[in-house]
Amino acid sequence: MDGMIKLTFNGQEIEVKKGTLLIEAAKVAGAELPHFCYHPKLKYDANCRMCIVEIAKIPKLQTACSTVAAEGMVVRSDIPRVQEAQNGVMAFILGNHPLDCPECDQGGECQLQDFAHRHSPTVGNFGEEKRVFEKEYFGPLIEKEMNRCVSCLRCVRYCDEVIDSNALGSIDRGSITEIGGFSHHPLDCEFCGGCIQICPVGALTSRASMYDYRTWQVKKTNTICTYCGDGCQLSLETIDDNVIRVSSELGIGRNEGDLCARGFFGYDFVNHKERLIRPQVLQKGRRMEVTWEWALNKAAVELKAIKEKYGPEAIGGIISSHCTNEEIYLFQKLMREVIGTPHVDSGARYGYINAARALSSVFGTTRLARYEDIVNADLILSFAGDMAETNPICAIKIKEAVRKKGARLIAIDSYNSGRDTYKSHLPHIAHRHLEVKMGTEGWVILGLLKVLDQKTSCGPLPSFETIERESGIGEAALREVAGLYAGAQRGVLILGRAITRNQNGYQNVLNLADLAIAAGQVGKDGAGILALAEENNELGAVEMGGVSEYLPGLIPAKAGGKTLVEMIDAAERGEIKALYIIGENPVRSLPQKKVKEAFQNLHLLICQELFLTETAELSDIVFSAVSFAEKDGRYTNQEGEIQKVRKAIEPVGGSKPDWMIFSLLADKLGSPFHYKNTDEIWKEVVLNMPPSWPALSKGAIASSVTSYMKRERKIIIPSDDSPPLQGGVRGGHLFDFQVGQSLYHSGKLSTYASGLNTIISKEAVFIHPDDAEPLGLVEGEIVNISLPVGAIQAPVAFSKRISRGTLFFPEHFSLEIKKGLPLTIDPSTHVPYGDRGVVTLSKISVAVSTKNLTIS
Amino acid sequence: MPTYEKILLKNMERPGYTGSLTDYGHAGGYSALEKVLKAMSPQDVIETIKKSGLRGRGGAGFPTGVKWSFIPKDHPGPKYLCCNADESEPGTFKDRQLIENDPHAILEGIAIACFAIGAQTAYIYIRGEFFSGAKILNEAIAEAYRAGFLGKNILASGFSLDIYLHRGAGAYICGEETALLESIEGKRGKPRSKPPFPATHGLYQRPTVVNNVETMMNVPHIINRGSEWFAAIGAGKSTGTRIFSVSGPVKRPGNYEVPLGITFREMIYEHAGGMRSDKQLKAIIPGGASAAFFTPDQLDVKMDFESVAAAGSMLGSGGVTVMDEDTCMVWAAMNLLEFFHHESCGKCTPCREGSAWLLQILQRIEAGEGRLDDLHALESLSHKIEGMTVCAFGDAEVAPILSTIKHFRAEYEAHIEERRCPFRSNVVLAMAH
Ligand SMILES: Cc1cc2nc3c(=O)[nH]c(=O)nc-3n(C[C@H](O)[C@H](O)[C@H](O)COP(=O)(O)O)c2cc1C
Ligand code: SF4
Ligand code: SF4
Ligand code: SF4
Ligand code: FES
Repeated sequence: MDGMIKLTFNGQEIEVKKGTLLIEAAKVAGAELPHFCYHPKLKYDANCRMCIVEIAKIPKLQTACSTVAAEGMVVRSDIPRVQEAQNGVMAFILGNHPLDCPECDQGGECQLQDFAHRHSPTVGNFGEEKRVFEKEYFGPLIEKEMNRCVSCLRCVRYCDEVIDSNALGSIDRGSITEIGGFSHHPLDCEFCGGCIQICPVGALTSRASMYDYRTWQVKKTNTICTYCGDGCQLSLETIDDNVIRVSSELGIGRNEGDLCARGFFGYDFVNHKERLIRPQVLQKGRRMEVTWEWALNKAAVELKAIKEKYGPEAIGGIISSHCTNEEIYLFQKLMREVIGTPHVDSGARYGYINAARALSSVFGTTRLARYEDIVNADLILSFAGDMAETNPICAIKIKEAVRKKGARLIAIDSYNSGRDTYKSHLPHIAHRHLEVKMGTEGWVILGLLKVLDQKTSCGPLPSFETIERESGIGEAALREVAGLYAGAQRGVLILGRAITRNQNGYQNVLNLADLAIAAGQVGKDGAGILALAEENNELGAVEMGGVSEYLPGLIPAKAGGKTLVEMIDAAERGEIKALYIIGENPVRSLPQKKVKEAFQNLHLLICQELFLTETAELSDIVFSAVSFAEKDGRYTNQEGEIQKVRKAIEPVGGSKPDWMIFSLLADKLGSPFHYKNTDEIWKEVVLNMPPSWPALSKGAIASSVTSYMKRERKIIIPSDDSPPLQGGVRGGHLFDFQVGQSLYHSGKLSTYASGLNTIISKEAVFIHPDDAEPLGLVEGEIVNISLPVGAIQAPVAFSKRISRGTLFFPEHFSLEIKKGLPLTIDPSTHVPYGDRGVVTLSKISVAVSTKNLTIS
Repeated sequence: MPTYEKILLKNMERPGYTGSLTDYGHAGGYSALEKVLKAMSPQDVIETIKKSGLRGRGGAGFPTGVKWSFIPKDHPGPKYLCCNADESEPGTFKDRQLIENDPHAILEGIAIACFAIGAQTAYIYIRGEFFSGAKILNEAIAEAYRAGFLGKNILASGFSLDIYLHRGAGAYICGEETALLESIEGKRGKPRSKPPFPATHGLYQRPTVVNNVETMMNVPHIINRGSEWFAAIGAGKSTGTRIFSVSGPVKRPGNYEVPLGITFREMIYEHAGGMRSDKQLKAIIPGGASAAFFTPDQLDVKMDFESVAAAGSMLGSGGVTVMDEDTCMVWAAMNLLEFFHHESCGKCTPCREGSAWLLQILQRIEAGEGRLDDLHALESLSHKIEGMTVCAFGDAEVAPILSTIKHFRAEYEAHIEERRCPFRSNVVLAMAH
């Protein structure tokens, strides 16, 4: 066969692909060569010397992990010469290894244990003293036990090659070589857990699950992460209905075994002691736990009463896009068909709907690029400077494309291209980085469009001078970047929350679609557009009909369905009398709206939750729902991959999966659903989908584009008095302010995960150190931030990733700050934008304790 | 005492020679470069060096012309030459003398080599402790730029070359060619697993030649005087002269440039003046700390690559260390192991782990706490290291042990049986520890 070569391994003739390393070829011959430093994800380093083989005509033994198989090679690993040499290396590795397997968490899944059984000499030569390192806690989440280390450097190489975090290195030399961070500072990295997982021995282990298990005791359930839209496969490892730890398997899932801090360390909210375990009702101002029967009856009776008195349209429903496809489908069915209201919406409304609606209106689908396309692209145009935080695994694909495959990354965002020492940052590895003034990506898109689409089929575009004045990006840079994008063979466009969750979001996505069409980067192999989803099932929520404008299958719903913000407004006006909210928390997410007051107007508020959230606290009825660990179903990730979620543990306490609660309620409302499990729901979903679903053919995409181009299109020029652009010149005390996502958290849910809380558990405002210096700020010091309305106090943290003249505030802890930020509503999609504003930062005159804090 | 024409040390032995560009010019300096640029093609240069039989003076003795010819010809993008001036092998101090006294001769050699392989950038990687050497080389590089022997369009030939001096930070291993490349790249100086070799995947993964200082310095002479002239000096496949650094209790320790192929006897008893206080010679390290020991009955081995290899050692770095009857061989092996243990980079298992075990056993024997099975342990550990490591350091660290056990087994046994070092009183030993 073409591209194949033949060689002889242990006397057996085998055929392998050209370029295969001997250690992989050995597997074809049924032999597993002992190895420590080799790992298929990493460039070989050939340092452990375990995988040696004899190759005919080469006098010295060779390492199989670094030798590419060649035609006609004759290789042996089964001869005494090789085995003695392997035993020799093993003797060296074991020589200094402690005999602490009984208390080592790696026991049972340790490559040293496994290979030592096969390759140990029976007699040792070592009568001297062992080298001993002190045990160290390597940051809050990782335990470092260097006596167990075999110096394979897999951890160091993973952290560098895959994560680009570079937090680890080998320290010292010779027999006292150890793994550590520079000058023994506490680990301050991305906490992806990759080093723990890739370590072949127990030298790096997770402190979050220390001594909690032996590997043979755990039950492993493969499922999909519940946090972001990357859609990573992971295994929940459980003992007796407790999630003990998370693991992932190399090469498996869309993430190919890589995880981020949220996926790896963010699991223990599942067994959190504050989980709601029984339904609750508010009775005469008092909250009490009741039976399911009680709560369901109450809900059904009151819903029926409201429907009878005010009509079905007085009832609205909002569902979280963390829910499964089956649940979202069933929810909209319950609302639309059983209750009969068009008012259905979901968390996708916070921004993803902009992408879903714009892309599907142009291309007929949102499935326009997959991770493979990113990895193999020659050019990536990214409007997501924070991707390594919001969608870290997708960012790994970009790192792979750029660092391993030589793709060019063009990053357009309002971040600095500087990086913090031990955290990766995509603008930092960009071939070209256009650092725009906050909130002006829209102008840059118009500029790029102006370069590529000379016919300006979209109507008159602003002049380059205007664009430069607004965004800070001049014509030359725009021409260069547009040229690179249009000239690419496989150009992939990526857009994140800077586009979807900010002013003019819907129009900006449409303009990006026009840009991709003008550049010829859709509809051809390897090119495409990927809209990042912040929550795990935002695309699913839209496709399952969990938004007011679509029925399942992106079929337009009749007009009149209210969106999330409209429902809140309608509640305030008294038009909506009852709301049924699943896993959403508008009281917290939309502090600018008087949500609490609006909800107090309601006759009935039903909430379905894991925890007693701000919204649940106001609810008349709270149904205790289950987490992703306790249910089956399917999530659709941002690429459009539909993946199975599997139940790992029984529901905590008396909680129930959302789909079951909907079924029970439908029963009580007199229209039983009769689903026995989620597979039955899914069958119905699939039957209800258009025939072209899920993937649309190239031809269909092309004809959709053709008809889009014929439609009359109008570019809406961003108006320069939109709120984030107000104010004077940045600098000094005046800053553009952005609320956004941190790598270590996701919404509020993750703040119930103790592992993640050990990394960050408090709010802080991030500032570039060069902006902090003239203000005389010290890291950790509390500052005053005056908002357009009101002010808050928060500690400052320094980050070189922050654009000069801007501030960043992670959204996971207190959202009080948003109260003071302006809220605007997208005219097309009703997405509420309230994450940005112009603020003044000032020192609090009273000196705060600054001991032990240094300026980095 | 036989005398030989000096080639490399000739200039610096002229009275008043400072090594400045003027002095070097008066001695005919840069004429070879001019000849190469005006009248020769890169291929001509490579052929000339090949025919001369010049072999690397850094350790392995690899034929220099052949090494240059491995550099891919039509490779797009940059190629590099790195001149290895890390000279850290114990007992070797010849490059230092060359650098400090005739720096332009090295630069001229580098320039010719770069022309031959098509490199426009060269690095000189100099041992960190060579403070004055670094200063002198930097000044010489500046002079050469000013005079147009370096920089853009050298001697209007269209050939351009930049030379950068890179100072090491004290690790012996950075003299190993791939560790040297890593170090220049700004990484930890740790050897790379070979293949691939630097000729195709060298500095920044580009085709690269690494050559020793002395190797480079031979090049202009071969160009000026022809490959036949050079090939006629020396013995068989070991052509030209070599500078040997002779140290130990001899009457005249120092650097001696002689044609390859004279005997150790001639070197030690004629050139170096014989043993001090007329003590008995006991052992010789023939080629730097990494080479196996010789005994007095090997004094008539010829100092050329083949003869020394045939006698079970190597000519290595050219450091000849002489030991007399008062030297304890166990102590000598231990002393070398202290060095190797300290300098093991820690990358690969056998060397990292093995060096520490070996040293501990040797220290125990020397302290009078040896056991009879220690000798077996030393040998078997050594065999587990030999040939199993990423770089040649592993072979180097076991050479002194295996050769002293082979030649001086009785001395080891005496340490173990008498439970002390027969060469020292216990008082001295206690002080030494
Ligand atoms: C551990 C070790 C240390 C070395 N140190 C040096 C050195 O200090 N100087 C040197 O020229 N070569 C040294 N070498 C040899 C180099 O790896 C390389 O072979 C040499 O520089 C090539 O130059 P040549 O072909 O001109 O001999 C060392 C090799 C090893 C294995
Ligand atoms: S980023 Fe942190 S957790 Fe991830 S591999 Fe690097 S050191 Fe380990
Ligand atoms: S800590 Fe683990 S992965 Fe890292 S070098 Fe040691 S054994 Fe290898
Ligand atoms: S043999 Fe020693 S010096 Fe060479 S790579 Fe291995 S550990 Fe480093
Ligand atoms: S697995 Fe090949 S040398 Fe480590």
